[in-house]
Amino acid sequence: MKGQTWRFVITGLLVVLAVVGFWNTFRLWTMSSDDKARMDEIKPGSVAELERKAMRLGLDLQGGIHVVLRVKMEEIEPSARVDAVERAIQVIRNRVDFTGVTEPIIQKQGDDRIIVDLPGYTDAERAEELIGQTAQLQFKLMETQDNANLLLAKIDSIIVASRQAEKAASESGEATSPKTDETPADTSQKDDILAELLGSDSLGAEGIEDVEDNPFTQYLEQFLRSSKSGSPWPGYMVAAKDKKMLEKMLAMPEIQRVIPSDVQLAWSTRSEIANAQEVHRLYILKNKVQFLGKYLENIRMSRGQFQEPTVDFRLTGQAASAFARLTGSNIDKPLAIVIDEKVESAPIINSKIRNDGQITMGQGATLDDAKNLEIVLKSGALPAPVEIIEKNVVGPTMGSDSIRKGLTASIIGFFSVVLVMLIFYRISGLIADIGMFFNIFFLMAAMSVMGVTLTMPGIAGIILTVGMSVDSNVLILERIREELRTGKTVRASIDAGYDRALVTIIDSHVTTLITAGALFLFGSGPIKGFAVALFWGVVISLYTAVIITKAIYDTRKGYKTLSI
Amino acid sequence: MLRIIGDTNINFIGLRYKAFIISGLVIIIGLVAFIMILMGKGNMGLDFVGGTMVQGNFEQPVSIADLRDAVAAGGFPEASIQELHRHNVPNFYIIRVKEITASDMKAADRIVEIVKEHFPQNAFTKDSEHTIGPAVGDSLRKSARWAILISVLGMLVYLWFRFDLRSGVAATVATIHDVLFVLGMFWIMDKEISLLVVTSLLTLAGYSLTDKVVVFDRIREKLKKFKLKAEYVGAINKSINEVLSRTLMTGLTVLLVILIMLIFGGEVLYDFSLALFVGIVVGTYSSIFVACMMLVEWEARSPRRAK
Repeated sequence: MKGQTWRFVITGLLVVLAVVGFWNTFRLWTMSSDDKARMDEIKPGSVAELERKAMRLGLDLQGGIHVVLRVKMEEIEPSARVDAVERAIQVIRNRVDFTGVTEPIIQKQGDDRIIVDLPGYTDAERAEELIGQTAQLQFKLMETQDNANLLLAKIDSIIVASRQAEKAASESGEATSPKTDETPADTSQKDDILAELLGSDSLGAEGIEDVEDNPFTQYLEQFLRSSKSGSPWPGYMVAAKDKKMLEKMLAMPEIQRVIPSDVQLAWSTRSEIANAQEVHRLYILKNKVQFLGKYLENIRMSRGQFQEPTVDFRLTGQAASAFARLTGSNIDKPLAIVIDEKVESAPIINSKIRNDGQITMGQGATLDDAKNLEIVLKSGALPAPVEIIEKNVVGPTMGSDSIRKGLTASIIGFFSVVLVMLIFYRISGLIADIGMFFNIFFLMAAMSVMGVTLTMPGIAGIILTVGMSVDSNVLILERIREELRTGKTVRASIDAGYDRALVTIIDSHVTTLITAGALFLFGSGPIKGFAVALFWGVVISLYTAVIITKAIYDTRKGYKTLSI
Repeated sequence: MLRIIGDTNINFIGLRYKAFIISGLVIIIGLVAFIMILMGKGNMGLDFVGGTMVQGNFEQPVSIADLRDAVAAGGFPEASIQELHRHNVPNFYIIRVKEITASDMKAADRIVEIVKEHFPQNAFTKDSEHTIGPAVGDSLRKSARWAILISVLGMLVYLWFRFDLRSGVAATVATIHDVLFVLGMFWIMDKEISLLVVTSLLTLAGYSLTDKVVVFDRIREKLKKFKLKAEYVGAINKSINEVLSRTLMTGLTVLLVILIMLIFGGEVLYDFSLALFVGIVVGTYSSIFVACMMLVEWEARSPRRAK
């Protein structure tokens, strides 16, 4: 009888703990959206507070963005690799904090990967920009127009020469034997590029000789001129449809060779609309970095004199004097603002700038773009470039649909098992059902308290727990029936049934725990949710299916009959 | 007392040769599927090979063939299309493209553009996307292999420790038999082996083993009373008969729960539930006809008990 008291005390204590643990989750889940609105009105932020305390829902249920990044270690110095991932995580965390996403998850995975989970955030494009940008801000001067013209002329002549060579080769090839292709591999590769270039040329092969003495520059349109002197600077507009072709030309090894190492050709950050046409800009810059973004302070988004978006900054100390020197000696020249090797804009320096600078956003930039720039500049540059290797965006529809279906399946599953047990085992079945109820209840509470994230597979894990927790009771009840058939008294049969079934129950639990453990080790997000639910469901069922149900039987001492 | 099945005395042992033929076939088909999958010829899910999946809805219904043609014309000839029924938004479709290259992480955006361009009168709204680069698939395949290895070894060692080597081997072989059956079925039906399906195969292995342990426990209990070889076989047959009602009862309740997941759980859990459902039916069969019969055969070939 003493054991009996203890069982009730411990179970009672567990129930109290579970109620406390599950209370916030229960409140949140049973609230209508009206209730939530009212609650937030009375005390702002209280709903978010409640959400923090309640069971976390996985991205697959509440919607959001899951991104896996790879830090490109091969692109940085070996000495910088040691803590590159940790530093990148810190930078990304800072950036994410600015978005106001509650409870983001940013963690290292493996050697060079970073997982970023943004629950409830569904603007994939913005998230990618925010997370994936290196945000290396550099200020560069532009090449002079004369030097640029020389370079462009060289590029043109190289393309003309190689096209003529190509044409000659194909003509002679056709004349002699078109099938014997004995050109070395590298030349044939070059021919491929040329063939592609020729193919994409709307004029076709015949027109080449007449028109193509400026095959590169014909696609460029000068736009950058100083406001005072009117002198031109090498900034060009390129129609969006031609950009790919120009990029291919620039990638040709012959052309790469003639671009001096102190010159950089850089595209604009984004496209814009000019004369009802989508265009990109191409700048010819001096490669030398004149000033680095890391000295910028007090960075904030603002608006310029025409209400255009800008990002303002402040400089102090030596940085201010360096910037003053740079701007003072380059008045009436453009200063290119380069972010991650792309030119945001190239405003003309009007006067010496000492303390208060402004980053003019390029044409076509929105307030959101300026906001993003503000955030990434404030958080600092990533220590190494990153690439996105997995991206999962769960929209609101998908998430809520999963919740609805998971809930329906759980409820129907629970009640049908309850019913089956009642039909086959009557009162004894009811006792098993009570054990099962406690199993689910304790499991939910444990998951809330431990901060486990509930995912769709996790719901499946809970439903399976319902099925499996019954197994222990079926084992016990069948055993009791067998004992009854041997002619034992009810009391003795119950005790023997529990006794004998226990070994089997423990054995069968361990096998499931091994599976759950293996799944936990290898699983990614949603699968981990499943493994955790299964693991704790099985552990808890040992207590609920054996000890709680036994305690219920033991409340009565003298059994004459047993409804089983 | 409502009993699912009365006292039985079926001669399961006598049926073992028929069972061996059936199970042998199952194992062969399953092994073929397994080897094909290892060689990369299986229908692996996006998780493992990389790819992209776009989910969204149209204002009006479109035919799956039209949508497939449009996406194919846009440069994704291998795209597969699925309509989600009973979704909370009508005209909801999934567009799936496998094996994109590492540099093509924007494939989902391109698909959305293609679809919008092709159906200008019928607005398409993207709800979700999942894009997986090939590198992720590689590491996932690696960890899936480890998980399978760890769980199989873990179970074998536990059973060896709790029973004896022959029980451990018999139960493990029977469990692998069940997993191979489901794998073979998925392979023949050309169903995708996704991460969730692998998960369900492992879960199934755990459940199936539980089922075998229950019978083995009973056999061990019985064997304490028997000492002769002939009695060993009798003990096994009697044990199977005795736990038969439990086997069927648990099997049916778990199947009931999984059937409900199949019907109401939605497409996310569909293949997961399907694999479990079939696996549990097969697992119940193999507890008796593979695991126990292996014990019988093993005993017939081993020297006389010392005891």
